[in-house]
Amino acid sequence: MSENKNISSVLKSVNKPGRYIGGEYNRVMKNKEEVKCRFAFCFPDTYEIGMSNLGVRILYDVLNSDGDVWCERVYAPWEDMREKMKEYGIPLSAVESGDPLTAFDMVAFSLQYELCYTTALGMLRLAGIPLWAKDRAEDCPIVIGGGPCVFNSEPIAEFFDLINVGEGEEVLLEICHLYNEMRDNGSYTRAAFLRAASHIEGVYIPSLYEVSYNEDGTLKEYKPLYPDVPAKIKKRIIADLDTAPYPTKLVMPYVETVHDRIVLEVYRGCIRGCRFCQAGMVYRPIREKSPETLCKTAKCLYENTGYDEISLISLSISDYSQLRDLTDGLLSWTDDAHVSLSLPSLRIDSFSEELMQKVSSVRTGGLTFAPEAGTQRLRDVINKNVTEEDLMHAVGIAFRGGKSGVKLYFMNGLPTETLDDIAGIADLAKKVVRTYFEMPKNERPRGISVTVSVSCFVPKPFTPFQWERQNSLEELVQKQQHLKGCITDRKISYKYHEAKVSRIEGVLARGDRRLAPAIALMVERGAMLDAWDEYFDYDKWMSAFADAGVDPDFYTTRGFALDEVLPWDIIDCGVTKEFLLRERKKAYEEKTTPSCAEHCNGCGANKLGGKNKWCN
Amino acid sequence: MVQLTPNKPYVTLRVKFKKVGSLQYISHLDLVRTMHKIIVRARLPLWYTEGFNPKPKMVFAAPLSIGTESLCEFMDIRLIDDIPPDEAMARLNANMTEEMQVLDAYYTEGKLTDLKWLFYEIGIMTDGATEELAAAAEKYLLGESVTVEKKTKPGEPTKTVDIRSQIKSASCRLFDGLIRISTTLSADASAFLNPEYVVSALKRELGILSNPDLTKEYYTIMRLNAYRADMTEFK
Repeated sequence: MSENKNISSVLKSVNKPGRYIGGEYNRVMKNKEEVKCRFAFCFPDTYEIGMSNLGVRILYDVLNSDGDVWCERVYAPWEDMREKMKEYGIPLSAVESGDPLTAFDMVAFSLQYELCYTTALGMLRLAGIPLWAKDRAEDCPIVIGGGPCVFNSEPIAEFFDLINVGEGEEVLLEICHLYNEMRDNGSYTRAAFLRAASHIEGVYIPSLYEVSYNEDGTLKEYKPLYPDVPAKIKKRIIADLDTAPYPTKLVMPYVETVHDRIVLEVYRGCIRGCRFCQAGMVYRPIREKSPETLCKTAKCLYENTGYDEISLISLSISDYSQLRDLTDGLLSWTDDAHVSLSLPSLRIDSFSEELMQKVSSVRTGGLTFAPEAGTQRLRDVINKNVTEEDLMHAVGIAFRGGKSGVKLYFMNGLPTETLDDIAGIADLAKKVVRTYFEMPKNERPRGISVTVSVSCFVPKPFTPFQWERQNSLEELVQKQQHLKGCITDRKISYKYHEAKVSRIEGVLARGDRRLAPAIALMVERGAMLDAWDEYFDYDKWMSAFADAGVDPDFYTTRGFALDEVLPWDIIDCGVTKEFLLRERKKAYEEKTTPSCAEHCNGCGANKLGGKNKWCN
Repeated sequence: MVQLTPNKPYVTLRVKFKKVGSLQYISHLDLVRTMHKIIVRARLPLWYTEGFNPKPKMVFAAPLSIGTESLCEFMDIRLIDDIPPDEAMARLNANMTEEMQVLDAYYTEGKLTDLKWLFYEIGIMTDGATEELAAAAEKYLLGESVTVEKKTKPGEPTKTVDIRSQIKSASCRLFDGLIRISTTLSADASAFLNPEYVVSALKRELGILSNPDLTKEYYTIMRLNAYRADMTEFK
């Protein structure tokens, strides 16, 4: 934003101005006259959140590796800055060049959570780009969406010219190349480009489909407007993750970001198959990186960034088949370099004394375990595959290792949940406290606190629970109160998520194109940064739904019929509907499914290819 | 050549650097975190504190507040090897952006607390900036007393404080349509004066900078020089 002369005086009047200045070490600067495609990578949240996102870091690196493309970053301004931008007529601009978004060829958004939709669209508005794809003129940037939310992008599909389904490393470059080629040979028009782009695997052009509905309001069909437009969009994946590009330099923020450290992606996908988990399904098939590649990348990143922490990430890090080789390889130099290792997520059944000694985040931080449900019956329904014994074993190790605080994560509103299952959460927490008191005094730390944290279940697309009804607000609140009554021990503290937020997430996650006018209304009425508690406004959402003629219950408490056309049926994420139905049936039978490491359960994701040792 | 001994197994490298342009919006805390990573990238042989949680030793003189640029920042870092200062400087600069660069580096036994006075230039763009206004500003800053409202603790009422004794010198001129104030202010730990207070004192006394349009009225502050108690240059 540095080139706008009004900015400097404005910056003195806003909070945390450091988030708007750019100018970071390792940022990529190019001559705009010498590139063919200017690509604005927008993150619909604050700089501190966006700079921490691994996907953006990877794609920034990939896009800028192409000499014809210049990828820059854009973040959402906080409310005070937004007011000043309006007052002084400062348009939303990219961090690197300070140029407004209208100067770009492509404006892409990473959509990480449903509540960021209003922020993404609000950013378009701040940039002076029309909200609806159909209203955009020939010289307007191509607006692209990607990220986990686009496995059901229907509620926002009509705001985007192009949607990238699946991993973006290859597709985004292919899109830029097509664009450059058509510009070069003079065949470019907006319509011709989008039509041609629809032939790229993993590209969804919402405007090329006609959607019809039945009389009862359910979806009837998606019809491609032209015979060459694919009937279903197949998710793109990177076949060999070990040779896939990974940044060896990172843009170094001056201000502290949420994950201000080296993030090492160890593998994609998950072998577990928890039935509520969308990430565990849509990132299949599993693909691992080798410890050698990871160690080399880590060293390189350390030298180019100076960070003193390396975080290993993946959906369930302890399932990495070569975890010991990896941690040993890293620990061979990290201690001497004063670099610590951290793991964000640990499965209860993998927690060991060895891990506690090796990993500093485990050594020094608090411990969090996620049993997800209070009884074995319900844990079997959701296929969590951990037992009470596993949990007691894990907390035993934790207490012996000097931990006095343990946090337990659960969900309310899971399918088949009864009040007994909810009481089971309190029982489990009590047993953790009992485990502590049964230990000899000299083996346990002084004092104990158990935190029970409960979120509300949202039935997500592409999970075995995608057809389930979501609990109503009243049901969720009643369940939260019931649990509150069950927790009597003063060593146990209880926290629960706002059910209203989960309900809006439910509508947005499961909605279809008829939601778009309601979302547009929200944006027109100034909604932005809805993912922040201070800006989330349930009543505002409800009046937008009402004014746009949307019944939120239709997408949440109704539940979807098994033979119903689903909004996300237009997407092929690899995992088949047959598999999801099988898993759903097993859930109701309270039967578990073993992990991919034990044997193949035929989810269907192997048809996408991908190098790994488990899929046939 | 500085000797490393078991009692003092490190040498102290003093680094003088600038922090200008958009980096005026980076807080001191963020600067410290950034500087640590720069030193690691530059592979300077950092000395770490002993004990369970080893930390490098980096000490900064007179932290800058947000909105002030500087051509004279000082940082002392402890190294376990006395690499040539020129090399340290070159390596640090290769790992910084153009808005923050090392201007000088040398080994020292001196104390950062010997820095007692700092010289600033303040430029005020204000409605009706005239020679008369500049003269009035100078007269006020060099008069009997210069009062400002200071917040002591959050939530508590502000206090009226006289900062005159913390102003060593001040000259105000009209230059390029701006009121330009050249002033030397106390940097002593017990009486540090933030140049923002000079601006707010003038604002209060002369009624300037009252236009709510931030593009019409604004000011800039640049730190330019550092002195010891006897007004010799601090190094």
